[in-house]
Amino acid sequence: MLKTKDLSYWYQDASQPLFKEVNLEFEAGQSYAILGHSGTGKTTFLSLIAGLDHPKDGEILLGDRSLKQIGLTNYRRHDVAIVFQAYNLFAYMSPLDNLLTAMAITGAEHAGDKAYASQILRDLGIGDDLITRNVQHLSGGQQQRVAIARTMACDAKLVVADEPTGNLDEDNTHAVIAQFQKIAHEQQKCVIIVTHEPDVAAQCDHQYRLENKQFTQLA
Amino acid sequence: MNFCKRAWLNVWAKKGRSVLLILVSAAILMFVLAGLLIRSAAIKATNQAKADVGATVTLSANRQAAFKQMRQSSSSSSSKSSRPKLTLTPVKLSDATKIAQLSNVGSYNVTSTTSANAKSYDTVSTSTGMGGSSSGGPGGMKSGSSSSGDTQIDGVTATSLTSDFSDKQSKIVKGRGITTSDKNTNHVVIEKELASQNNLSVGDTMTFKQTTGSKTTVKVKVVGIYKASSSSSSTAGPMSTDPSNTVYTSYTLANSIKGSKYAGTADSVTFNVTNPSKVSSVKTAGNKLISSSKYSLSTDDASYQTVKASMSSVESFANKIVWLVAIAGTIILALIVILMIRERRFEIGVLLSLGEARWKIVAQFFTEMVMVLVVALAIAGVGGKFVGNQLGSQLVSQTATTTQTTSSTTSNQPGGSSQGGGGQPGGQGQNGGPGRTTNSTKQANTKLAITVSAVDLAELGGFGLAITFLSIMIASGGILRLEPRKVLIS
Repeated sequence: MLKTKDLSYWYQDASQPLFKEVNLEFEAGQSYAILGHSGTGKTTFLSLIAGLDHPKDGEILLGDRSLKQIGLTNYRRHDVAIVFQAYNLFAYMSPLDNLLTAMAITGAEHAGDKAYASQILRDLGIGDDLITRNVQHLSGGQQQRVAIARTMACDAKLVVADEPTGNLDEDNTHAVIAQFQKIAHEQQKCVIIVTHEPDVAAQCDHQYRLENKQFTQLA
Repeated sequence: MNFCKRAWLNVWAKKGRSVLLILVSAAILMFVLAGLLIRSAAIKATNQAKADVGATVTLSANRQAAFKQMRQSSSSSSSKSSRPKLTLTPVKLSDATKIAQLSNVGSYNVTSTTSANAKSYDTVSTSTGMGGSSSGGPGGMKSGSSSSGDTQIDGVTATSLTSDFSDKQSKIVKGRGITTSDKNTNHVVIEKELASQNNLSVGDTMTFKQTTGSKTTVKVKVVGIYKASSSSSSTAGPMSTDPSNTVYTSYTLANSIKGSKYAGTADSVTFNVTNPSKVSSVKTAGNKLISSSKYSLSTDDASYQTVKASMSSVESFANKIVWLVAIAGTIILALIVILMIRERRFEIGVLLSLGEARWKIVAQFFTEMVMVLVVALAIAGVGGKFVGNQLGSQLVSQTATTTQTTSSTTSNQPGGSSQGGGGQPGGQGQNGGPGRTTNSTKQANTKLAITVSAVDLAELGGFGLAITFLSIMIASGGILRLEPRKVLIS
């Protein structure tokens, strides 16, 4: 589904890349974890496959088309959904409005369908008493679930998450990872999670470690 | 149109910030509106001044030419017994009719002044200790038939067309004034003092006696009584007849009292020019229709010029207010919007990560500001009138003081255009009746009628939109350059 072909990235000096000539393949219906120490470039890698930045060298292919051909804005709108460590919800909206806004922008099949959006939130444990409340009044775990619900409400085939459990306690961490697994296996989406927590990575179908500018698949 | 919904949600959720923006926008718009209102009121006032103050062109005997002729005949004649005479040719009404047909000439007033002696009544005498009630100005040279009577007869087309009545220095208190229908009648309008002294009222008759010729008596009927204001009454010179002895008649009656040779003539004819800015062209066109050696056309648009100068100054100041406030407002709003956008970088990043088009993000901010603008417009609409009134009256009073000072300095110069006090010499000369004023002595007492119309609000809305649009455009440079990765992954 998503392939990286000789993907390289560096900031100032091409002789000191964060990673070099990376060739990976990600399939629909599977979850992937990318592990690595801080500063190794795993979040940068995620931003490239999320279409937030251009690679310095190589290319990313969705199916048989490169992101360059698709266009980053189009790619972000229709093909990828992102979950951030800091949730990145619209602070002035309710959980329901957050979902409806994302559905409208991405042109999702159920755009404007309040009942559909409400059901997704309910499935993730956001009760009716919370769905119209301002998101700032929700706990961190609840906000992260809203962010996950947002990815589910949109029709993107690829879900990428950057340290989605970084701000959560153990119970919430398990619940969130379970949701990602559900998205991958039940909705047949490709889920890629960047994390530095081995416990979280262990729950995913595949694990990669970014070390010494190269990705290594863990057994 | 999802950005409109987002805009509404944002404005509603952040009430405190929205109220602050509304207040800032309302303050800016209030001053823009004040400027717009003063400007439109100044334009209206100038247009109104054209209609109200007006300008006149007066056809009268050419006194300069007459004096010149008198001096020439004086130097050629060696005989001391033959004293030179100033001969003023009465204006022919046929010439006046031709001028009246010129474009931009509205109504016209024929003036024929003479005097007669009271027969069936007593005149009002004023004891000044300087010559009793004798008529005529001091030091006058007699012209034409020269004997003067104790009653001044002002023959006019209509009293409403005379400056005394139009300036409200005299007003009808009983009956009616002289109108065009009184032509060829013996109807008169007399002063209140004269009426009460002789127990005369509307419908009564009185009798004059001619001062020249066959000295026949003329019986007239009182159709109205007027009251002259104290200021009007006091403008007569010390040697002139009491102002209460002025009787208004149709010019035809005044001419017949003067004598049969004055039929179809007048002392002067004053034409009201409908568009004061065309007064010069009317004068030029009129001069082609008359004999300049006998007659002259003089213009009087001083009041119009005073009002125009005053209002132009106000209009120019109002324009400056509008533009200065608009520019300052744009800068202030732009700075506020820039700060607001910096504060919302994260939100912009999320929108970009969802694939939202950059122009739609700019449109969301613009829509938010338009929502703020609508409320601010309503506030400014109410407050702007108040600010405009305060500012406008202050401006007008300052400008009027300046122009009146300038105007009075000019009119006090020798040879100025005043025709008021003192009167014309020799009873049957032209003009110079008591209390007579001309346009040039009117004060430009123009008030700005400041009202908020739908057009003003539409214009203000346009300015508001332009200010908002520019502010957003200046501020959105940041949005267009923003990279979502730098905002979201840091």
